[in-house]
Amino acid sequence: MSTPATLIAGYTRLKTAAAKSSLMAVALWLGSTAPAHGEDLTDVNSIIEKANHTAFYQGEDGRAEARMLIVDGQGRKQLRQFTIIRRDVEDNRDQQFLVVFSRPADVRDTTFLVQKHVGKDDDRWLYLPSLDLVKRIAGGDKRTSFVGSHFYYEDVSGRQLSEDLHELKATTDEHYIVRNKPKNPSSVEFSEYSVWIDKQTFMPVKTEYLDTNGKLYRKVEAVEIQSIDGFHTATKMRIDDFRSGGYTLNEMRSIKYNIGVPEEVFTERSLRTPPRQWLEEK
Amino acid sequence: MKYPLITPIALALGLCSASFNTYAADDWDESAWEDAGWEDSATTSNTKSPWALNGFVEAAAGGKLQDNDAISNDATLAETRLQVDTRYEWKTITASLIGDFYADDITSKVSGSWREANISWPIHSSIDLKLGRQILTWGTGDLLFLNDLFPKDWQSFFAGRDTAYLKAPSDAIKASLYHAVNIDLVWTPRFDSDKYISGERFSYFSPMLGEATADPNRIHPQARDQSFQDSEWAIRAYKNVDGLELAAYFYNGFFKSPVGIEAQTMQPYFPKLNSTGASIRGSLFRGIANTEFAYYNSKEDSDGTNPFVPNDQLRWLVGYEQELVRNLTLGLQWYLEWIQDYDEQIAASPFSQYEPEERRHVLTTRLTYRLWQDKLTLSLFGFYSPTDKDALVLPSASYRASDQWSFTMGANLFKGQEEHTFFGQFEDNSNVYVRARYNF
Repeated sequence: MSTPATLIAGYTRLKTAAAKSSLMAVALWLGSTAPAHGEDLTDVNSIIEKANHTAFYQGEDGRAEARMLIVDGQGRKQLRQFTIIRRDVEDNRDQQFLVVFSRPADVRDTTFLVQKHVGKDDDRWLYLPSLDLVKRIAGGDKRTSFVGSHFYYEDVSGRQLSEDLHELKATTDEHYIVRNKPKNPSSVEFSEYSVWIDKQTFMPVKTEYLDTNGKLYRKVEAVEIQSIDGFHTATKMRIDDFRSGGYTLNEMRSIKYNIGVPEEVFTERSLRTPPRQWLEEK
Repeated sequence: MKYPLITPIALALGLCSASFNTYAADDWDESAWEDAGWEDSATTSNTKSPWALNGFVEAAAGGKLQDNDAISNDATLAETRLQVDTRYEWKTITASLIGDFYADDITSKVSGSWREANISWPIHSSIDLKLGRQILTWGTGDLLFLNDLFPKDWQSFFAGRDTAYLKAPSDAIKASLYHAVNIDLVWTPRFDSDKYISGERFSYFSPMLGEATADPNRIHPQARDQSFQDSEWAIRAYKNVDGLELAAYFYNGFFKSPVGIEAQTMQPYFPKLNSTGASIRGSLFRGIANTEFAYYNSKEDSDGTNPFVPNDQLRWLVGYEQELVRNLTLGLQWYLEWIQDYDEQIAASPFSQYEPEERRHVLTTRLTYRLWQDKLTLSLFGFYSPTDKDALVLPSASYRASDQWSFTMGANLFKGQEEHTFFGQFEDNSNVYVRARYNF
């Protein structure tokens, strides 16, 4: 089940007007077998697949700038800013990411390349410019901090649906509420988490994590969702760690979809020499 | 079906036409950002200035843990350093200038040096060029270098400066060709040696004296500074096949430290060296495995009979790294240096008792533990040679207090049973260090 941590992938895509009308025409012509508004889905797998798609796979590719404000339990603040390019190798399957940091000063020009694989460990590389070193990073635990923030790597690149058992807990006027329990509890720090999925957009708008005592200790929220050039996008996210009292705000701007970024951008060349052509806002 | 139908339908019905949708605005604390607005990023061309300026100020101190008979000064690191990093971008061209300015109480000098001064641009859609002073790295070893024959600054490394200073700059031209097989071609018109342990702040073992020595017995090698004549070539061909990284390497130049002795003058010098090698790196089990070899062809002593020039050598490395538990990573390496024509070397050597073993094995471990959301990093790196019976242990703790301030403390602990072995010769140089850095 994906969380809505969408610095990379929280792009909700709406169809263009033309596509909308044609799709609606097709739906009507077929006798509208797809659920129309007001008809709730009841199959949890269908809901989480749509939500996973919405959170992580909208469009063929995209770029965005993100900034993060990381606040620890004592109120001490840190900032991160980076540009991210994403490309889907196959819809709802493998993806490629390139992240180029612009601040803080000590990580400026550090780049991060991920070949995300469904069903096996991702391939990850980090380029450290001060050493001219391309470091390969062991797959390892994905529930560890992403660049020192309260986000986990898994929040960013998506948790594999097959790792949890899913149950449709409730259907409200606005949301499907899906409860997820890990198949391998020792591999994660939560005992379960619930996701609030917008019934209209299938955007996961809130995720709450419970510990083994059933206590809420972690929450991810989509705080602001904007439609940019017809693309429905979570532009502000907040994640809270109630144990430490710390939180991270994530904000995105300069978002572009379907820019046509080629596969070759996700290689060692881009790690060493970030591809300005694709990073820059056009 | 690729996209959920419900969205376009809802949109068509005007149910979702608001371009702005707030779920939990109360949770967004805009004021928390304070003045931390968007910074012109390296990538936003329409708003940014072509100039970028960054850097740090760092104070560092370190000292030996024991008396060293060869060196009276117990301090190994006492400096304040300013690094200024400027960059200018114009169209596809990037100019980069990184300067270090430092007051060094060990050498009693106030000085400066350019760490990078280069210009780079793509001369073709599949060719990048970088001209000037630059840091160059390749190969798969972790603090073990086989095919990476770019200059290292071992003195900085052993003194406890930031690991970045282990890589010394090269004045070079680098052309990178991207095709079915990628090729990096580096030409250094004038040889750049390592900054080896010369006796300036650490003692070393002298076979001629039969003991550890230092200033005033500094190593003063014959210069290797004729442009073009003393040039170096380094080539890497590499390819990534579904996550399996394959590379082949070639180097034509000189041994990076003055391991040769001119027979007439008995002056140390940098003998000629050709190196050929290859590496593979890929995922294995839950970690990363790598193997790399290099054959060092000592061109001035191919048959191994000249005692004043190193013999050919085969180097081989096998490594593996895996996260053991959350935030704790273990890296292991086995490394071999195998001297060829060893019998000839021993037979001809005037100091055969000090010659290294025919096969020098080295094992390394790296343990890295990250805590407090990556603010604190504890690291333990160890080299151990079962054949030389010596070791180097590098514990360190690094605390990143904020985006500006970071603090590091650590130690370089040498241990050996004999005075002349690779790490053992430095035993009396074991030291501790602290650093405080302010980034801007």
